[in-house]
Amino acid sequence: MKVDKESISLADLKEILGKETHRIGHFTSLDGGQLLALLLDPSQGDKGVKLYEIALENGINSYPSLTIKHPQLHWFERALFDMFGIIPSGHPRLKHLYLHEPYERNFFPLRRVPLPENFNSPIDRRFHFLEVKGEGIYELPVGPIHAGVIEPGHFRFSCLGETIINLEIQLGYLHRGVEKRLTEVPLKHMHFLAEAVASDTSTANALAHAEAIESLAEIEVSERSKYLRSIALEIERLAMHIVDVGGMSTDIGLLGIASAMGRLRGTALGMGDLLTGSRFLRGFIVPGGVRLPVNNGLFKLKGQVARLRHELKEPIAMFLDNQMALERMREVGVLKASLAKEFGMVGPAGRASGQDYDVRRAFSHAAYPNMAPPTVTAREGDILAREMVRIKEIWSTLDTIDRLLDNLPEGETTGADFSKVRLKPDSFAVGIVEAFRGELLHLVATDKEGKVARYAVKHPSFNNWTALAIAIRNNLIADFPLCNKSFSLSYSGNDL
Amino acid sequence: MLELLGYLLKQGVATSRENFPDLPEHVRGLPIVTDKDCAETCNQGTALCADLCPTQAIDLSEANKPKLDLGKCIACGLCTDVCPSGTLVNDRRTRTARASREALISTRESPAQTAATKDSKETKPAKAGLFKRSLAVRVVSTGCSACDMEIGASLNPIFDMERFGVTVVASPRYADALVVTGPVPLGMRAALLSCYEAMSSPRLVVALGTCAISGGLHGGGYSQADGVDKILPVDIYIPGCPPHPWSIIDGMLAAKSLKT
Repeated sequence: MKVDKESISLADLKEILGKETHRIGHFTSLDGGQLLALLLDPSQGDKGVKLYEIALENGINSYPSLTIKHPQLHWFERALFDMFGIIPSGHPRLKHLYLHEPYERNFFPLRRVPLPENFNSPIDRRFHFLEVKGEGIYELPVGPIHAGVIEPGHFRFSCLGETIINLEIQLGYLHRGVEKRLTEVPLKHMHFLAEAVASDTSTANALAHAEAIESLAEIEVSERSKYLRSIALEIERLAMHIVDVGGMSTDIGLLGIASAMGRLRGTALGMGDLLTGSRFLRGFIVPGGVRLPVNNGLFKLKGQVARLRHELKEPIAMFLDNQMALERMREVGVLKASLAKEFGMVGPAGRASGQDYDVRRAFSHAAYPNMAPPTVTAREGDILAREMVRIKEIWSTLDTIDRLLDNLPEGETTGADFSKVRLKPDSFAVGIVEAFRGELLHLVATDKEGKVARYAVKHPSFNNWTALAIAIRNNLIADFPLCNKSFSLSYSGNDL
Repeated sequence: MLELLGYLLKQGVATSRENFPDLPEHVRGLPIVTDKDCAETCNQGTALCADLCPTQAIDLSEANKPKLDLGKCIACGLCTDVCPSGTLVNDRRTRTARASREALISTRESPAQTAATKDSKETKPAKAGLFKRSLAVRVVSTGCSACDMEIGASLNPIFDMERFGVTVVASPRYADALVVTGPVPLGMRAALLSCYEAMSSPRLVVALGTCAISGGLHGGGYSQADGVDKILPVDIYIPGCPPHPWSIIDGMLAAKSLKT
């Protein structure tokens, strides 16, 4: 959707944030000369999306940090410093988020306004972990390369015996500079790169990209395309939720169930294949419509949904019936609702801690909010709650795909002809999507020639990583893998 | 417990009976150059394929001699969609791993460069000889996770890579091959190199996926995410974005036959 920018002062922003009617969608800058705050009020629907600009005075690259009052901003302010060299002064833990030792001290990739003369970054590139001191306390470093086949990140545990006192997470190993690259590649190729921000979330990324670009180019999308996009998004959710529950069974040691889930995930990926010709639904959602292959298997999807609904029942029932599984998950890694709200948590992990927020019901994208299923929430905030939300969402996703297929409108679906697409100059647009991990957001700004001047991505994991570090405190180190998996966090989506 | 056992027995054998089958008709594989002439109009400089390619994988500098670099290709299928002459077509074969960077370049003279595995023409179950040796691989992810998930899939009951003697291990210390996914941005270089150094010789490096081979969509930026062979010698290349599980298994078998 298109958003109009409103210029305000920092004091005004503080006042707006103080009312607590908004969550923070994004907090960043355009070129280093200003702050941009995208605020979302889910209860107001599309009208609740507001973009504010706070100009920074010439030659000044700092402002008083807002993190202490609004913990949601913690990582946003760190990322702002990393990418633009804007210092949130008084930030309680200012550390680099993305760029570490391999980069020069004063390298800020997205900054275009010059740095103040004689500027030198207040912190070095080395990551200084919070030290916990006391008798018997030891540190356990894990990563960046992990034992399994997963993305890289470093965990620094401070433990007393087997109990975790503190966990600090260092990310950024996968920083590929996607946001910068997105402003460099031609528009016709941009959607491929947007998808590859995190390819397990490729559909949601493609959708957020398409929604933003379509608003800037004023392209109307057919109802049929919207429905097909929703079907693709739900297939992605289905496959990934199945993986997550399967991964949970692996870590608990229920290998029989894990292998059943692995096989059923194959069926879900096969649905992606049928619809798009790609197991990861790559290249399907394009600005203007969808790219539906000529020999697609759309007509077979209904049968696959019924098959999955039937075949998933037994392994999931066994998983939830297993005493060992329940004991490992119940009252472990608890995150209280009040903290979840403070961190601005999103997605199944947020909903499992009582956050009643599903983008599908709040903001328009694809065939939502019309076809949005009811929001699934839980109150307990433990591993089990997160898995229960996921499992209930598997069922509601299957129902949603069914409903979308039953009501699929006729019409054209072809994507835009890029040779004719012109983006509106000096404008902002945002695509907000409920990815399988939660709120995913692409914010695109154009310059006076209609070129993309700033492309900002906020992945759902960006909001949720801190929650993991807090939830694992005072839990056993042996419970960490399970707890980590239950949050289902993305490294590449966060690192950009 | 008994319930689970009963359930598993009831499921029967999920594992694919055929090895390296072609992809189904509706699925996009990698494109390939055939021996058909390019259309007249395309030779006059109006060809769409190279212009549409998001990773500049198609070189049309010589008329009628298109060169397609599968090491850059992300299998988006745009080129095969627009090719009027059938010069570029969708290749549904799954034995796509290659033992050199050059072999990934598809031209009219060598449309299907020889597969890296010795028994490339075999499509029946792998020969008994393959089971004589095993390969322990250490996977280091430096990318967007799709390739990692496909490695996971190649270990599932359908593809079951372990029956070919390939195991994914948790330490470089006892690994024969280092499998790298993703474009290796600056942030991952030190970790990747230390992992490689922790391996004992002889050791192999497998570049899995287009990003690992050439940087793919991510190349060319300030993070210098331009692929593995910029920092390590690569023995086997598995193209695709991500490669299909069968292609991954093909690459592992290729690495196994190279193992000294």
